[in-house]
Amino acid sequence: MTENYHVFSDGRLERHNDTVRLVTEDDEKKYLPVENAEAVFLHGQIDFNTRLVSFLNDHGVAVHIFGWNDYYAGSVMPERGQTSGRTVTEQVRAYDDPEHRRQLARKFIRASIHNMRANVSYYDNRDHDFGSVITRLDTQQERLEPGLEINELMGVEATARRAYYSTFDDILPDGFVFGGREYNPPKNEVNSLISFGNSLVYANVVSAIRATALDPAISFLHEPGDRRYSLSLDIADIFKPLLADRVIFRLVNRQQVDMGDFEERLNGCLLTESGREAYLKEFEQMLDQTVEHPRLNRKVSYQHLLRVEVYKLKKHLLTGEEYAPFERWW
Amino acid sequence: MSDTDPVEKLRRTAQDEATTDEFRVTGVMMQYYEVCERELWFASRHLEIDRDNAAVVRGTQVDDSAYDEKRRNVSIDGMIAIDVLEDGRVMEVKPSSSLVDPAKLQLLYYLWYLEHIVGVEREGVLAHPTERRREAVELTPENEQWVEDAIRGVHDIVTQETPPGAEEKPFCESCAYHDFCWSC
Ligand code: SF4
Repeated sequence: MTENYHVFSDGRLERHNDTVRLVTEDDEKKYLPVENAEAVFLHGQIDFNTRLVSFLNDHGVAVHIFGWNDYYAGSVMPERGQTSGRTVTEQVRAYDDPEHRRQLARKFIRASIHNMRANVSYYDNRDHDFGSVITRLDTQQERLEPGLEINELMGVEATARRAYYSTFDDILPDGFVFGGREYNPPKNEVNSLISFGNSLVYANVVSAIRATALDPAISFLHEPGDRRYSLSLDIADIFKPLLADRVIFRLVNRQQVDMGDFEERLNGCLLTESGREAYLKEFEQMLDQTVEHPRLNRKVSYQHLLRVEVYKLKKHLLTGEEYAPFERWW
Repeated sequence: MSDTDPVEKLRRTAQDEATTDEFRVTGVMMQYYEVCERELWFASRHLEIDRDNAAVVRGTQVDDSAYDEKRRNVSIDGMIAIDVLEDGRVMEVKPSSSLVDPAKLQLLYYLWYLEHIVGVEREGVLAHPTERRREAVELTPENEQWVEDAIRGVHDIVTQETPPGAEEKPFCESCAYHDFCWSC
């Protein structure tokens, strides 16, 4: 259950006997093997009906819909196979205990700064001089004192992320000008790539949470939201540098995407279909990449690391055992 | 025995629906107790296993279709679910050669439960599908002691606030909780 299927064409997605069939606008038919699907990502304009939704529901397959503005538009989530009153109770209890919530929020930020730093020092060791950025990131780490309120923690994270993003203009080749983070819609190519990548990390974390009994709407760093699955925001932040950003650096530096893969649209700059395809190909490869896991004693894929992350959090909430968020260890 | 003894508590739960201090022990819990106490704790909290994990809970994956003689599955008090053969003996299938003791303890628990709670004496048979062999199992005083100690042991573990720590075991690799257990 680890395959993501991406549909780019416009058309109709329907249940056909015991399979899912895509009928494109020029009446071409393609079949999606749902048996081992984790999620289907829709990037085009797709019609579907309730019959399809309940079929995917039965197979535990999520549908993530990617639109235009800032890419992620929403999900059709299968009814959770796992429900556990106790898990949700513990989750709410931790959220409701200010000390516990702050402690978790601080851990998320510590890990996400660590992972930003890992990217920066990679380039620092190659042909850049990012010493001052590394210092700024370390300073932010030091500011993470136990007593900080959530909004103060958010401030530390924002400062760290700004320092981190300041390296992008140096890492990326001429022509790709970043300037700073803007979204809804992204205003230039780099912002567009970041938005797309972040949305994909987010959607994959949503899928990972769905496999457990955790409630995706009860979060610790971000305010529990009713529009987005805020727990997914908490966890996705940790993984963005590892997954989304590294894909950007690779693609752009190897010229697998160029200026021709973007278009001005809706007052913003967005990836074209071919640009998205190029990004996704690299992104899915990244998810399949494996690393030796010291505790699990075997190689696990980056995608499985997302799942393990959710287990870790859940285990912490239910057993009180220490939670150490993912920090790149290699 | 004081009435706080887990064995007494179990008896009260079985006999008095209105008891406020419930304590249930299922055959699977006995198995877990013998295999891994941490696994028992997880299972007692209804922690779901990874639905993608191919390794289903041990013991349920045995193909016992070889035993086609008349068997009835009987469930009692929602605590024990036993296979009763036509001649009245209780059968338990042993999943693999490394798990003799857990399967035996489970069977002995059923025999103990039948005798001490339900009030009927039965013999047991432990079936070894792979070896095409059966072993008669009896509730000797020594085995009674084993069962009652295990009931107390189970009580100890499931009433703890936190699980026993992880310890590498030969079964870990096939444990349905593996990734949950070893993630940190
Ligand atoms: S993985 Fe090993 S230690 Fe953990 S619950 Fe399973 S058998 Fe026990």
